[in-house]
Amino acid sequence: MTELVAPSSINLSTPPSTPKPDSQSDGKSDFEYSTFAITSLKLLLMVLASIVSTYHSLLSSDPLLTMPVAAIESLILLLSHSPSSTISETLSLLAHYTSILKSSVANPIALSAGTDLFQRYLISSLQSPQPTYPGNRGGRARGGDTTDDFQAIRHHLISNGRLFAARAKEARSQIAHVARQFIGDGTTVLTYGSSRVVGAVLDAALKSDTCFKLVYVCDTTTTSTDMPPTLPSPSRELPIAIIPPSAVAHALSQVSMVMLGAEGVVENGGIISGMGTYQLGVLAKAAGKPVYVCAESHKFVRIFPLSQADVGGVGLQFSESAAKGQRKGSETDEKRRIDYTPPELITALITESGVHTPESVSEELIKIWY
Amino acid sequence: MNTEVPPMGQENAAAGSTPEKVKETISSSKAKGTPKLGEDLKEPELSKAELKKRSKAEKAARRAKEKQEKATIGQPDVPNHTQQDQTIAPEPNMRNPASGAPGTKQQKRRRSSTANPQRQIPIRTLEPPAPTVTPAPKKDNKNVALFSHLYGHSRRSTMAGAGKDIHPAVAVLGLKMSHYIICGSNARCVAMLLAFIRVIESYSTPPGNSLPRHLTTHLSSQIEYLVSCRPLSVSMGNAIRWLKVKISEVDPDKPEENAKQDLCEGIDGFIQERITVAGQAIATSATERIQDGDVILTFAKSSTIHQTLEKALHHGKRFKVIVADSRPLFEGKALARQLANLGIQVQYCLLHAISHVIKEATKVLLGAHAMTSNGRLYSRCGTALVAMTAKEAHLPVIICCESVKFSDRVALDSIVLNEVAPPDELLDSDEAGSPLSQWKDTPNLQLLNLMYDLTPADYINMVITEYGSLPPSSVPVVHSLSMNT
Repeated sequence: MTELVAPSSINLSTPPSTPKPDSQSDGKSDFEYSTFAITSLKLLLMVLASIVSTYHSLLSSDPLLTMPVAAIESLILLLSHSPSSTISETLSLLAHYTSILKSSVANPIALSAGTDLFQRYLISSLQSPQPTYPGNRGGRARGGDTTDDFQAIRHHLISNGRLFAARAKEARSQIAHVARQFIGDGTTVLTYGSSRVVGAVLDAALKSDTCFKLVYVCDTTTTSTDMPPTLPSPSRELPIAIIPPSAVAHALSQVSMVMLGAEGVVENGGIISGMGTYQLGVLAKAAGKPVYVCAESHKFVRIFPLSQADVGGVGLQFSESAAKGQRKGSETDEKRRIDYTPPELITALITESGVHTPESVSEELIKIWY
Repeated sequence: MNTEVPPMGQENAAAGSTPEKVKETISSSKAKGTPKLGEDLKEPELSKAELKKRSKAEKAARRAKEKQEKATIGQPDVPNHTQQDQTIAPEPNMRNPASGAPGTKQQKRRRSSTANPQRQIPIRTLEPPAPTVTPAPKKDNKNVALFSHLYGHSRRSTMAGAGKDIHPAVAVLGLKMSHYIICGSNARCVAMLLAFIRVIESYSTPPGNSLPRHLTTHLSSQIEYLVSCRPLSVSMGNAIRWLKVKISEVDPDKPEENAKQDLCEGIDGFIQERITVAGQAIATSATERIQDGDVILTFAKSSTIHQTLEKALHHGKRFKVIVADSRPLFEGKALARQLANLGIQVQYCLLHAISHVIKEATKVLLGAHAMTSNGRLYSRCGTALVAMTAKEAHLPVIICCESVKFSDRVALDSIVLNEVAPPDELLDSDEAGSPLSQWKDTPNLQLLNLMYDLTPADYINMVITEYGSLPPSSVPVVHSLSMNT
């Protein structure tokens, strides 16, 4: 019953270095346990330093890699190098690194979508095959072959995880295939942010010889107003207009649709995305333009924000002096980089499994979790 | 009551032109009425309440007769023994759907404007009006016609007439429910299941029967009695459905003692899992939604909301609570008192002040009687108003509801699916001089005491269940999930 309640938080609190109480029952002496604890502690420190850097190096090495997938890949790397010998140890190790990873970034929502899903995926894949496997109790006491058993599970787990990451990457091209049908000849697409999925969709539409125009809303809080590398660059086939966010309402009348990416898709079908997406959604709704969100289903995350404050935003920072230049660079600004767009403002979500209404996100999530 | 037939005959004779048609309509609508009156058929002797009602009705009719001296027909319609029949009597022109009871007011207005006020002029009917029929709803139908399908039978308030196989625990429970001593979806469901444990414990299969087959019918009669006290809640319905499946799965070869013990343990487990633990789980996740400085608005009383607020307090959250309440049950008083005793700052108001207090509130937490499959909330009358006001004020509306309260029914309005409580509950019992005290004798006055209303899914932001927090659109998914496990 408790597992039903808050599955994301089950394992988070268990530190991985503690020997499991149930493993006390098998024949090992206390001494062996203390050495075991020490070695795992060493390794812990080692990987602790590396998990975050692994994650960042993965992200920087491949510009097309999204945060959830990078998180999943670094967790798989970690698992393949970790000396864990029981299932529950593996899981608690995983949960621990997940929390380290989450605390290392300013905005853990997109990341947690991937890590939670991976954790869930592992649990279910461990539960489904041979039930004799998870031999925490009694398993190791039986003899040497159970250790091989566990190695087999571990291998299965890691290879399954790889498959998972591979599938997650594949999803983007599938979305592009579905979403390009929304872009017809003569349409004008407005987009914002540097979504890789939207980039892939636009590329796919260009490749299928669709004639359309693009309006790109640039982010004025950063110094550069260039197009992000993830989106196609202007060409004869694709004329692009770059407008500041202040011109969105003005430009919307000439736009046929708004196409956005997302960092996370939340339980009620709303999205969490770069700051400014919400107001874009409000404007598009007011102008009666459809808003399509392209997101892989591994971005679905089991959180349910009720307001902007629930996505980790900080309250308004009032300033009593008229000094300039205070607006940028503060740590709070970094945290407020994202906002929450409620489901009412979203026409449809385009995922690799098809086009969904915002309402059906919850259903998809329930399918994954139960 | 041998006067019952003659007046009808007289009426028919008076109607003259189309006696057969009138008869036809009466009989057909009577036939229509009978299925609803299933209880009357099952209970040949009338309960005290019904006898009382009948004599009251007779009295009223007599008074009305004296009043209306102008009436050409000697005898006004004598009240028939069921309420359904009463609806027929004053309206010979049942064919006209527009002149059904909801239109009586309108009809009267039209009638008074015509030259001959004595004559009822049927609207939109081709047949010439029966010349001498006086409409004379001398004995008003006190059932609101729009909700006539909900009246069914009057609520049992005594044990008289209960079948001999009704278990004492069930008999007592029925009365407690009828008098709102046990009230609230969860409380009623738990109390019913506990009573059923007693029933099963004292049950022994009669010779020649098998437990799985006979116990179900035995329980059905208990359930029937409970229904006659007060209609079942959705949670009770779900629990009964589960229990009947459980009973039918019992191996007939199993020794009776073991089978009974298994069933009782199963029921205990059901209460534990679906209500107790589910409630705790909901309280835990709902507590996370309460932040320091919040002002929580709630309506009436929900055990889950009480649990949530209590838990939030224990977690050190600092918040205020506004309890909105309404007549006639004033359930919110109990909640306000309990919360105040815990040390929470509570503001109590009635429903009419809602648009005022909503300005201070930051979140709305509501309990549920049931959630329908289209994501609508079926809860105490007045909830929809609170949710609508909150939506208007852009406040998040959070429903705390165990999955046992989810229903596979779809409801679009609160007319089709509802419960009508005795209208006398609307009167102030302590005020003898209440202007409504004579409402039964006041013509053209009907009282309607609805128990529930339906809140559209648009007004609901979140439903917290033991499966997590969901948008209302996920109710059917969780319902099927919870019924399969």
